[in-house]
Formats: sequence, structure tokens, C-alpha cells
Amino acid sequence: MATAALAAVATLRAGPSDQGTPPPDFGPAAPARAAAASGLPGATEPSPPPAPHGERREAPPERVLVGDVGLDARVRPVGVTEQGALAIPGDPAVAGWYRFGPAPGSPRGSAVLVGHVDGDTGALGEFAALYDVRPGARVEVRRAGAGSAVYRVVARATVPKDGLPSSTFRRTGPPVLTLVTCAPPFVPEAGGYQANLVVTAEPLPA
Amino acid sequence: MTSRTSRTSRTLAASAGACALALGVAAPALAAPAADGDDTAMVSVFHGVPGLTVDVYANGDELLGDFEPGTVTDPQSLDAGTYDIQLFEAGQGPDGTPAVEKKIEVPAGANATIAAHLSADGKPRLTAFVNDVSKVDAGKARLTVRHVAAAPAVDVRAGGQPLFKGLENPEEDTTVVDAGTVPADVVLAGTDTVAIGPADLDLKEGAGNVVYAWGSAADKNLALAPQTLGGMESVPNGVDAGGSGAAVASNSSDQWVAWAAAAGTAALAGVLVARRAAGRRG
Repeated sequence: MATAALAAVATLRAGPSDQGTPPPDFGPAAPARAAAASGLPGATEPSPPPAPHGERREAPPERVLVGDVGLDARVRPVGVTEQGALAIPGDPAVAGWYRFGPAPGSPRGSAVLVGHVDGDTGALGEFAALYDVRPGARVEVRRAGAGSAVYRVVARATVPKDGLPSSTFRRTGPPVLTLVTCAPPFVPEAGGYQANLVVTAEPLPA
Repeated sequence: MTSRTSRTSRTLAASAGACALALGVAAPALAAPAADGDDTAMVSVFHGVPGLTVDVYANGDELLGDFEPGTVTDPQSLDAGTYDIQLFEAGQGPDGTPAVEKKIEVPAGANATIAAHLSADGKPRLTAFVNDVSKVDAGKARLTVRHVAAAPAVDVRAGGQPLFKGLENPEEDTTVVDAGTVPADVVLAGTDTVAIGPADLDLKEGAGNVVYAWGSAADKNLALAPQTLGGMESVPNGVDAGGSGAAVASNSSDQWVAWAAAAGTAALAGVLVARRAAGRRG
């Protein structure tokens, strides 16, 4: 079975394939536009800019849906691991929201949702569906205590794991929703997947 | 603070005809934040003299009006230089006798907080603290405690554990801890005698969380006042969102064939290995 698939793959293979760019990505390179907009490091800014003191509790996301590709995942807040990596829910059916960054629906910065592409048991993750996503796909984030935040997919990029743009986690600049999962190549002895798939979506007016 | 600041802004803006930031408008030394970062500094002001509402003057110009004890301003851009800082009881300046006065040098590129507070023996004074605004790791918060109270040396405890020991007015101590809410209190140094608290500190991730211990032990009005300085976050150092490799098993679904196609031969070799090796969370 694998052999047959390999043959098919070999045939389909088109053009040079740099390690970092497997799927047919599209849209503006998210890093570039985001970098221009991101805040300057080093400078301190009045904590959350216009909002008067701190307690601007954003409505946390509960569920993310991309109808076009059948993605439907529960969302729970995540932080970082002891090693400083993004913590990701172990269940590949569940997505994580990086709770230290903006929440979906925030007026600024990149709200990050992350999900495993597959689980240790071999099941595909909900975020595996991102490989099928097309420009313009509608992304709905249902929130606790607020209406849905709705976005439209504008870009997808595949980047080496050590090359994830820092703008993915920017807290200033234009609002976007960033969906992240893993991407091949898969090298078990090097820890598994070697790249990240990054899908960028912009807010749609409610 | 907001209503007072905006009123001050209007007054100042009327005369200066410039931006609406009270702290910036006041000084002729004003520079737009984006103009030339090299020659400016970010300055905030903390008021920790109990029972005294003040007007703050810099080089004879009003910087802040009706400034209430226990409040802190947002950082504003100021030209680097030396400022003659004067605090007057509200409405008494600038020709009267200041409650406290000090020349403070604001170096280029610095981030500083000027604190008006009581000395250990209860006299008003001004201290300039330099804020550490270097990045902290993802998930972490910087915690700084400044002893600006008329009180003896103290220890600061967080979550029941000693965090800082023997802190004296007007010293500060700083560390980096996990972000989140932590119960804290302030005790007389070397004792379990609680001077302030306990209080929950909300330590914000990627930020400098400064806590001022202020007031007067003799007057029994010791208190904590927070200041948060943002923009120190780092990104997580990785996103490991894969598991067994099932997603690259090309027989899972047709989509994977086309997709894996572009991944190249190196990746394919990896796939074959993957399917035989035990999946390791990647």
C-alpha cells in the first residue's frame, strides 16, 4: 500500500521541492506583512494601549469551525511547556488557544489557535483539515460570553519549525487569526514533523 | 487617573497646541515617540506620598495636575536631559514652596519611573527607578518590588515563600517568575509580622510587574500599588503539533497524496521510516 502510494507520489511530484515548502501555499507571505505591522521590541507601551487599566478580559474561544473543510474543534486555553514551547492539547480533536496572546475577536494582534495534525494513536487531528483550506474560507470562532468572531482565510505558509515567524505571536498591529499545525517532513528521530503549517485569516465584519 | 489626566491634557493642549498626552505636552523637551528613539526616554511617574494631592512640574512647566496618591501614569516619551522635578500641593505651584524637589537626569533610551514617596523616616522625597524592560521567556513575568514606604526593612513573600529579603527604602529587587496570580505579603524583615497584605498579585505574562510598597507604618496606611509595563514578551520556542505521523501516511486520504507530493523525496524517506517506527510526539 505504501509502495503504491509512493509511486503515485513520485509521479505527482512537480518541480523543485524545498524542504520548507511542501503544500501549495497561497496568499501574501504572512511574515512580511505582519512584521511591518508588529510593534517595536524593547519599547514599553502603555500595557494594553487604549484600554484603561488591564482588566480587559477578552471572551475566550470555545470552538473553531472551518465549514469548507469540515474542521470543527473544541478550543481550550494553553500556555507554554516547561521547555518554553507552545503547549498543545494532547487530544488532536481539541485545539489550543495561546492565552498569553490576543484572543480571537481582539482588535489587535495575532490570535493563535494550534492543533495537532495527528495524535500518537494515529488518528488525524482536526487541524489536518487545514491542508485543504482555500483562500476565502470562512473561519468561525465561537466564544464564551460573546458572539462569534468570524474570519476569512487569506494566506497559508509552510515554514521550518525553527523558522516560525515571531510575528505569529505579535500582540500589536492589525488583527488576524493564525491557525498553526505541524507539517512534513516527518522525521521521527528528529522529533517528528519538521515544519509548521500556518494559516492566516483576517476578520470579517460581523 | 483617567479623568484627571484628560482634564490636564486639555489645559495643556490649549497652550501648547500639540498632542494630548499630559506628560509629553508639558515639557518643551517633548519629542514624538517615533521621531528619534535615540534621544528620548520613556518616563512614568508614581505618587506615593499619602494624603497629598499634588501638581508635578518639570523645569517650571506643569507635567501632571491633581495627581492622587497611589496612582501611576502610563509611560510617556520625554527628551533625554536633566529635569528639575517639583511637587506642589495641588494648586500651590509653581511659585510657592514645593513639597519636594529634585533634579533628575533622564538618560537617552532609558525607561524610568520617577517615584514621589516617603523616606524611611517619613519625609517626602523623589527617587528615579530604572525599569528593566528586557524580554522575558514565554509564559514568564518580571516581578519588581520597590520599597518606598516610611517603614523599616521588609521581606516580600509570594505563595508563602520568601521572595525578596531585607529590602530597605528606597531599594528595589527584581526576579522573573511564572505568569499568573500569586498571593503575596510583606513582612518586617526577618519576622512573620505582616506589614502589608496578603494580596493577590496578578503577574502579567510578557510584562514588567512593578509593585510599590508605599505609605507609612506609623500612620498605618501601608499599601501596595501596581505598575505594569508591557512589551517584554517572547514567542514560544516551538510549536510541536504532530504525533504519530499518520497525517503523512498517504493512504489516509487522497488529499495527502497530492500534498505529500510536494514534500519531496527526503520527506518520503521519512514517511517510510515513520510508518515503521514508534510514533514520537513531535
